[in-house]
Amino acid sequence: MKKIIFSIITPLILASAAYAADSQIWGEMILSNIKAYGEVSSFSLGPLFVLLQSAYFSKIFLVVVLAVPTVFLLHYLIIGPKVFSHDGDKIYVFSLFQRIIHLIAAVAFLILIPTGLMIIFGKYLGGGSLVLGARYLHGVATLMFIVSVIPMFLFWLIEMLPTLDDIKWVFILGGYLSKEIKEIPAGKFNAGQKMWFWVASLGGVVMIATGAAMYLQDFNYNIAASFGLSQIDFLRASALIHNVLAVLITAFFFTHAYMSLFAIKGAIHSIITGYKENDEVKYLHSSFYKKLKKQGQI
Amino acid sequence: MTNHFGDVVEHSKAMLVIGANPAAANPIGMKHFLQAKDRNNAPLIVVDPVYTKTAAKADHYLRIRTGTDVAFIYGLLHVIFKNGWEDKNFINSRVYGMDDIRVEAEKWTPEETSDVTGIPAAKIIQVATILAKTKPTTVVWALGITQHSTGTSNTRIIPILQLVLGNMGKKGGGTNIIRGHDNVQGSTDMCCLADSLSGYYGLAEGAWKYFANSWGVDFDWLQKRFYAPEWMEAKGFSLAKWWQGVLQEEKTYSSSPIRALWVQGNGITSMAQTAKIQEALDKLDLLVIAEPFVNEAAVITNKKDDIYILPVATQFETEGSVTATNRTSQWRSKVVDPLYESKPDHEVMFAFAKEFGFYDEYTRAMKMAVKDGVLTEVKKDFNWPDDASDEIARTIKTIGLGGWTAKRLRAHQENWHMFDPLTLAGSGPMKGEYYGLPWPSWDEKHPGSPILYDVDTPVNEGGMGFRNRFGLEHNGVSQLAESGVDIAGSKVKGGYPEITKENIEEVLGIQLTAEEKAKIGANWKVDHSGIIQAKCRAAGVAPYGNAKARTIVWTFPDPIPKHREPIHSPRPDLVAKYPTYEDQENNFRVDVKFISEQNAQVWAKNFPTMLVSMRVVNLSGAGMLERTSKYLSHITPEMFANIHPDLAMEYGLRDGDMMWLHAPQGTKIKVKAQYNYSVTPDRIALPYNFAGLMQGVDMSQNYPEGTKPYAIGESSNTITNYGFDIITQIPEFNAGLCRIEKA
Amino acid sequence: MSSEQARMKFYCDNNRCIECYGCSVACAEAHELPVGISRRKVITLYEGIEGKEVSTSIACMHCSDAPCAQVCPVNCFYIREDGIVLHDKEKCIGCGYCLYACPFGAPQFPRDGAFGTKGAMDKCTMCAGGPEETNSEKERHLYGHNRIAEGKVPICAAVCGTNALLVGDAEEISAIYRKRVSSKGQGA
Repeated sequence: MKKIIFSIITPLILASAAYAADSQIWGEMILSNIKAYGEVSSFSLGPLFVLLQSAYFSKIFLVVVLAVPTVFLLHYLIIGPKVFSHDGDKIYVFSLFQRIIHLIAAVAFLILIPTGLMIIFGKYLGGGSLVLGARYLHGVATLMFIVSVIPMFLFWLIEMLPTLDDIKWVFILGGYLSKEIKEIPAGKFNAGQKMWFWVASLGGVVMIATGAAMYLQDFNYNIAASFGLSQIDFLRASALIHNVLAVLITAFFFTHAYMSLFAIKGAIHSIITGYKENDEVKYLHSSFYKKLKKQGQI
Repeated sequence: MTNHFGDVVEHSKAMLVIGANPAAANPIGMKHFLQAKDRNNAPLIVVDPVYTKTAAKADHYLRIRTGTDVAFIYGLLHVIFKNGWEDKNFINSRVYGMDDIRVEAEKWTPEETSDVTGIPAAKIIQVATILAKTKPTTVVWALGITQHSTGTSNTRIIPILQLVLGNMGKKGGGTNIIRGHDNVQGSTDMCCLADSLSGYYGLAEGAWKYFANSWGVDFDWLQKRFYAPEWMEAKGFSLAKWWQGVLQEEKTYSSSPIRALWVQGNGITSMAQTAKIQEALDKLDLLVIAEPFVNEAAVITNKKDDIYILPVATQFETEGSVTATNRTSQWRSKVVDPLYESKPDHEVMFAFAKEFGFYDEYTRAMKMAVKDGVLTEVKKDFNWPDDASDEIARTIKTIGLGGWTAKRLRAHQENWHMFDPLTLAGSGPMKGEYYGLPWPSWDEKHPGSPILYDVDTPVNEGGMGFRNRFGLEHNGVSQLAESGVDIAGSKVKGGYPEITKENIEEVLGIQLTAEEKAKIGANWKVDHSGIIQAKCRAAGVAPYGNAKARTIVWTFPDPIPKHREPIHSPRPDLVAKYPTYEDQENNFRVDVKFISEQNAQVWAKNFPTMLVSMRVVNLSGAGMLERTSKYLSHITPEMFANIHPDLAMEYGLRDGDMMWLHAPQGTKIKVKAQYNYSVTPDRIALPYNFAGLMQGVDMSQNYPEGTKPYAIGESSNTITNYGFDIITQIPEFNAGLCRIEKA
Repeated sequence: MSSEQARMKFYCDNNRCIECYGCSVACAEAHELPVGISRRKVITLYEGIEGKEVSTSIACMHCSDAPCAQVCPVNCFYIREDGIVLHDKEKCIGCGYCLYACPFGAPQFPRDGAFGTKGAMDKCTMCAGGPEETNSEKERHLYGHNRIAEGKVPICAAVCGTNALLVGDAEEISAIYRKRVSSKGQGA
């Protein structure tokens, strides 16, 4: 019997791709969409989505946006920032192209994260045009992010590959729990930056894909089918992944911002001017510093 | 319908639906069958070549091969006779000629029936058993039975089944034939046909004289309206083959080719042989269409000039009575005045009558009435539509429309809420009347007859026997009902003949006065004086007699119904065994091919797939009206054919692919293949509800600006196979062949 | 029936539904919906398969614990005292979450938003309009005909040719259906 159902449904799905203008979510596909909801043999994505979206996602986000800054505030107060002399030599680390691309990405994130949060907490903003505007802005900022994510991924890819230093860095948490300034094992990018890179780039691509799916809603139905999902289940999966990843990315984004703005005094200048303080590189990126020295670039 | 929908709900204990798909064609009718299923536990037996939406609700579904209905019913009769399950008393006292049926039925063993119909023998026995053991059972059919080259035989054999089972004239029994559209029964009763005057009076001189009298015009004047006197009594061209009158490819019998066509209604693209119709339309000198919507006649033709479309009002813009499928009449009020320059049908007709110079004769009867037993002109002006309704009531006696005066019909409309929807019985001011006065409603006091041929009810309360229509005896056997068949409350016991001036005194045992003798008409059908009806009322007698139903029609090519293979049959072996009729000369002024077409070649060799036509629920007729609704069009945005995936695979057709369907007569249509399991791989089913494309050519540029419907498509009628009923000339819509080709 | 506990519900008797589309077309017509948006849909399962085919009519089921209302990020849903689940199109941001939450695929999104994107969600209102002033032009434009306010039955159930689609207080509906089942075979 299953076979018959599928032999009916599959050609219908295939045929329906021809009618992109006329959504099949409520057309021929409605059967599979309804059946996909909570049926034993299905993935039960519907009930899972309802459970998480109604009770957990917004709470988790609330925790993230409150707890992460609180932790950093405590860190700032108790351990305090790392301060390096800004009068010494500077090392040129970021090209103009890299800085422009990073700037685009930075602006995109500065729009994506608040507008995303506005959607999540839309009920406290009363919904309507304000949140709807946020939703549209979220989409526009995505276009900026798409522009920046590919070059960024390519020009930093090699330097972001994991090394032995990263394991050591993780064990001492980058030395941020200590006031003492000593040489921290790290290449041009430390393990924290690398984590952020991978989450932001690969995760970012997934965010783009899942976001686009939700934004478009109707698109080539074969895509969902190739995952063995009905169109709505595909959208449900997209929403779940988008939200979970968003928690991670938001947390990392806050960390990234804290590090560059507060934890390492003036660190942000490197992505504006392209130059990093000699000492900063020497201590926080000791392996990189040694390599540069060996190559005689300092 | 001999009975009515409410009667099925109340009394039927089993339902046999054959050649009907009320779920798609009459959803409101379908409700009653579902209610009977719910309330009476009545099994619903559906016989259809396609697993329809009606079949989906059936307790027993029998997939029949198209065009084998006579064989199927004989198969049932075989089982019934063999087991002695027939209603012997009913047959002996009220039926003539059953022995011939018995002899024929003997040949139709379950095995033979199964071979011919494709229905498993066990199922035939099972259904015969249910029908025999469950009383009362009603039989329901529609166009799946009538639209065949053997349509007349089909419509005879099913009532014969009901006679055998003794289900006629019984509550919950009878034959309930569903009409497809609003007022189809009314236009049938008014005989919008080429072979009869209104009320089934026929075309004989006597009928013309009666109508001349009824209309207050001179018979000679009427006769002079014809080219020659012999045409007056000759049948005209039928809707099914009028195009031969233009094209004259087959031999026609007419004083001249048809040169002008007046179209009112959707009979153009809902008819078979659309390609021929297109040719004929092209060849006409003049085409006039009077419609609220653009009739496809104006679209499928290549004719560029001399086409006129007259805007005619819809039902909401006019008033009058319409007849429902159960012989009841309902008054319908005008909702809005006709929009823009459109006019109601009758005003268009009046305008033309004035132009042609016979307006006075045309409308005279509406100013007449019966005064002191004499029909005379009583007023200067008429009042539309009441006087038209009264004219019908006064004139049409054959089916007993005497009670259908405008006054009574209006009262029924106003007291709609006072009638029981199931029994149709009225209460309060309507007490003693049945809703809509189901005919016969013999006179102005008659309540209507909800169940035909019911001898257990007095005539004056809606009872009657069978009509004495075919003489008093045949082959030495009396055609009157036997003694013992007494209609309740009747002064005359047993059978009696139809009442005439000659026999009234003898049959009713009365004496007429000299004045009555002077005024009385020749018989009950033509008696304007009303004397016959009055005397019958007093005696509790039905004026049309109390006779036997006959199974033998001695004037037909098949005196008893016989199975004959469809002209284009998928079974060449059975064609040899059950050939169709000899070719027919001059029916409705044209020759019709039967055996010569059947034997022209072994059709099944080149056209291996059975072609079944069907309806879709959202479109009716050719969809002229419905396809202009965006919501209705959206349900079926384009023409399609339901095809079993296994059959489709043979031709490399994926779901949604386009295909050509070729018909034996050389026509073809291009339609979408839609996978569907309701058909078996030996047949495809396609709706006829589309128009606008002809054999792959888009004709939609012919729609006047702004009138193109949301959906257009090929019509299945373009490839409906050649074939016509031998009596009525209805086209063979349902049994045909085709060849599939991937487009 | 006590009116305080009345909860309006739809019920479609599958033994009666014949896929005539009457409900769906009447709904579209009454609320002047864009073509392609069907607040009420008629579906058939196992089409053409003998003994298995079943048709039914579905729309928003006006769930008691409406999952759509639970997941809406802007809280645009509200549930009337009589249980009818409605929403505020002016609050709705067209995110689609309600569609993901709905077991019946009821919420739909006409593509009338900016750049042809999906706009505010549209679904069956049980002919009860929306939060705007009852029977106002604006309510009619956004939510369609408010028949409930006029004391009428929702149009889909009103036109159902076979009495398959029932609407009303949950208890009354179950009483009707119970009667239909328990009286089976009691006629004739």
